[in-house]
Amino acid sequence: MKNSNLLSFLKDSLFSEEYALKAGFMQSLDPRIKALSCAFFIIATLFTKSIPVILSLYLLCLFLACVSKISLGFFLKRTWIFIPLFSLFIGLPALFSNFTPGEELFSFKVAGLMLVVTSSGVITFLLFVLRVSTTVSFAVLLSVTTRNFELLKVLRIFSIPQAFVMVLGICYRYLYLFIEMIENTGLAIKSRVGRIGHYKKGQQIVGWSIAFLWMRSYQLSGDVYKAMLSRGYSGESYVLDNFKTDFKDWLWLVLTGVILIWVIRFSH
Amino acid sequence: MGNPVFSLKNICFSYLGRFPALVAVDIDINSGEKISVIGANGSGKSTLLHLLDGLIFADSGKLDFSGRALDELSFKDDKFSRDFRRKVGFVFQNPDVQLFCPTVKEDIVFGPLHLGFGREEIGKRLEKVICVLDISGLLDRSPHQLSVGEKRKVAIASTLIIEPDIIILDEPTAGLDPQTSRKIIDLLIQENLNGKTVITSTHDLHIVEEISDTVYVFGQEKRIIKSGSPDSILADVPLLTENNLVHVHSHRHKDKVHVHPHVHLEHHAQDI
Repeated sequence: MKNSNLLSFLKDSLFSEEYALKAGFMQSLDPRIKALSCAFFIIATLFTKSIPVILSLYLLCLFLACVSKISLGFFLKRTWIFIPLFSLFIGLPALFSNFTPGEELFSFKVAGLMLVVTSSGVITFLLFVLRVSTTVSFAVLLSVTTRNFELLKVLRIFSIPQAFVMVLGICYRYLYLFIEMIENTGLAIKSRVGRIGHYKKGQQIVGWSIAFLWMRSYQLSGDVYKAMLSRGYSGESYVLDNFKTDFKDWLWLVLTGVILIWVIRFSH
Repeated sequence: MGNPVFSLKNICFSYLGRFPALVAVDIDINSGEKISVIGANGSGKSTLLHLLDGLIFADSGKLDFSGRALDELSFKDDKFSRDFRRKVGFVFQNPDVQLFCPTVKEDIVFGPLHLGFGREEIGKRLEKVICVLDISGLLDRSPHQLSVGEKRKVAIASTLIIEPDIIILDEPTAGLDPQTSRKIIDLLIQENLNGKTVITSTHDLHIVEEISDTVYVFGQEKRIIKSGSPDSILADVPLLTENNLVHVHSHRHKDKVHVHPHVHLEHHAQDI
């Protein structure tokens, strides 16, 4: 992947709010209720050992994505890009008798090593992959349908200190500025030297860029602190909380709570 | 006019104790006055404004605010600190520095929230300031999504919402299109007519006459080299040229190319 493509991907993933601004079901919910309900679904997925129940939860997640006007192709791409990384490679050994003993389904040899796939291994593997895909899907559904600043505010319902949330907000705000700076530095280098031939020169330029960025961020942090002081910041942080809930939000929360309780009872 | 809000006597400031940024500066600023600080890049304008806003403190000299010394010690008094921040508002040169919150709305209300205004009062002020600056459509946007002009307007809104008696602006029209510049100048004039003290640093001489009762010219030696009415300063073309504030300008007029220093002082009337 080219650097410019990587930066565009970063910008797109971090700052695009295309779906969060659509008038869909999840977008219409209060962000706090939405976060709680997604947390309930994730807990339910983690508690159950039943593949049909996890599958139902996954299908429910896809249904919620559809009624939230999210393109299914986009949603599947967003979620399944991580799943092979975190589940296939980690869960793969569980298929074999060495890790999950049980009834043999079939066996094969790899480099002189006999590998036996067991039925309980397949079930464990499927359970793992489904669990990861369902929890990741709910997390992606929450992040895609919620504006980034609202997500930050939601952190406060989990008793995360205000100062920490504010620092996260400031980091998020300036991440874009720094990505733009890296992009512009890249363009400036390209316009003056064109393609960098030798890797050593490339390393040198990356080193300069990192140093420049560090100095710029250091200077910026001082200036931002002055700007905060100038408007009355004295160590305590306050934000305007303007979330509002209505009947629909509470109804949805109760419904997800009921699903969570049902899944936990069903699992036991 | 008549009540001095800022009084600077022999103020010196240097960065890291080695690089002088201000040398022996004497200024008295009265309540309700319009002050301009002009000078080339690196002449100490921004440093002076940071000193006036209590963000940095002089190495030597005496800086008083409404008769009280403005030093690090005075900001240890919470009451004084809060009163000062309520009375003095500062618009930074780089709006990206001033807009540090995830949304425009949060940025605008940051000041009043931290200065202890009530939620209802903040709501009222927010409505007023977004109406004055015509930025109601920007409230839920992230500052990084805004144009330079929009950022500048939001930065001004984030200061004006505090309704300070003294508004300090560091190059408020730099890099703006003519229409946005005009709006900002009109706003500053209006604020001054409402009794506010307006202190502006700029090197845009076109706006100096409108936004100043008194102009201070800073030279490369980081000291005030001349002060006076806008007319007397703008008429001193050799001084302005020497201090990189005007340049020789060539343009076409009535099918004739002519060359003159770029300062608008009725020179066109003489050509016609």
